Amino acid sequence: MATVTNWIDHLSASEVAGQVYPMVGSEMWWVLAGIIYWLAWTVSTANGEAEEQEKLARKKHGPNDYKSNIAEW
Amino acid sequence: MDNELGALTTIFTEFYYWMTVVLMFLIHVGFCMYEVGASRYKHHQHTLMKNTLLIPLVTITWFFFGWWIYWAFPTGPGIAPSIMTESTGLVLGGGFGANELANPTNALMAVNLGDHIMGVFWAAFLLFSWTAASIVSGAVIERITTFAFGILAIAIGSVFWSIDASWGWHFDGWMLKMLGYHDAYASGVIHAICGGFALGVLAVLGPRIGKFSSSGEPRNIGPRNPWLVCIGLFLIYTGFWGFYAACNIPIFDLGPEYGMEGVTYFTATNIYVTPTTLSGITMNFLLSLAGGLLAGYWISKGDPFWTYSGGLAGIIAASAGNDLYHPMQSLIIAGVGTAIAYKLHYWVERTFKIDDAVGAVAVHGYAGVVGLVICGFVLWGYPSSGYGVGSMWVGTDYAPINPLGMIIGAIIMFGVLGFLPGWILAKILHGMGKLRIPRDVELAGLDYNIMEQARKDERAVASSNR
Repeated sequence: MATVTNWIDHLSASEVAGQVYPMVGSEMWWVLAGIIYWLAWTVSTANGEAEEQEKLARKKHGPNDYKSNIAEW
Repeated sequence: MDNELGALTTIFTEFYYWMTVVLMFLIHVGFCMYEVGASRYKHHQHTLMKNTLLIPLVTITWFFFGWWIYWAFPTGPGIAPSIMTESTGLVLGGGFGANELANPTNALMAVNLGDHIMGVFWAAFLLFSWTAASIVSGAVIERITTFAFGILAIAIGSVFWSIDASWGWHFDGWMLKMLGYHDAYASGVIHAICGGFALGVLAVLGPRIGKFSSSGEPRNIGPRNPWLVCIGLFLIYTGFWGFYAACNIPIFDLGPEYGMEGVTYFTATNIYVTPTTLSGITMNFLLSLAGGLLAGYWISKGDPFWTYSGGLAGIIAASAGNDLYHPMQSLIIAGVGTAIAYKLHYWVERTFKIDDAVGAVAVHGYAGVVGLVICGFVLWGYPSSGYGVGSMWVGTDYAPINPLGMIIGAIIMFGVLGFLPGWILAKILHGMGKLRIPRDVELAGLDYNIMEQARKDERAVASSNR
């Protein structure tokens, strides 16, 4: 798992390897995981937003009704 | 890094860009405050969330493909040859300037002991991307869905501005070579394109309910919290210091870079690798801010909203040539740009019934376009690059800066890469029924449910005795 296990050995090598993050070589999989996370978030929140707004729209509140919701501090 | 001077230069450059990122973060803080201050009470929280969410959305897509686009398309592709590879197309498989460089799986796109610049340079450009999306955000408040805005933010922040930067804000860009395009501090590549994009979206999105009377007369929906708007704009000004600094390369030896034998010339440069000074652009920044504030106050007859916005419009109008202008030129250009942007805002509002809630199209779009056109005249004849001087349309060398090239550049920025994609994407989202919130939600207020729940909780808390 660890790309570097001894800094002295690593930095005194004739050619110091730049990549020091774990699992060098698996970058493509991490990028794919990031893309899946992004797409899943988009689909899920888009559906949630549409549902919430449909529900609110059905209540037919007037433009000034929100004023009765202003909390007293 | 194995010698002290080289290490010092590299670490200084790394820290320099890091600082610009921190400063530019204030632009986003300012935009958030500004938008919330401009929105009505019943929409506050959703307005804030919409603008906040562009941070993660643009960041991850900038990592996935935005940065790659910047490095992949300077040649068009297929328009002008690269000075690095002599190719006119994408160069797959490696080499500086090729799309391999910023591929998200590339070794440099992570902690890498062999590179100190890629990450901070990536981040500086990312902060420009946030700014791009945030400019559009203000114009569309109180009626766009968060989903639609997310798509549009990614489009402008990670695709279209990246294409225009590749074409016209890159030392190898085809617009420099063929048109003599010059836009040192992004009048066009950030501001004009975003103004155009916002206008395209607004044309489809439509105005807020109540903005226009039944006879079509526009009504003013002024900022609900002018103090928040004021602080927001001051923070945007502050962040723009970082923006200006990030548009520079802080230290560069132009002698070997330009192929001048035996010449050493260390200087700061703009993004095109032509010399300027941080000292000089600081004066120009301040004078263009002053010119915009004075003109905004003058033309709006002391309206605070337009006075502050005028300061921003002034900076934007002078930005294209602020690497070379005299401070008094910056002052005058800023004043002219601000006055034209103000007049155009109201003319477009009345004529086309466009409801630009914060004047973003005017401050960024019109002022940016005016700045590009003026730059073409004032800097007429200057080289657009230090790598060589040629003629317009040829493309194998660099055309000098000229009015026609800058006018065409302004059309590309505002119209081709701004308005058109914004309008098309908004049309698609509208066709899917995803662009605008339902009418009843707009009337009730986007925050109605949150406020209702808060009231219930407050009452329960107030009546509690244990």
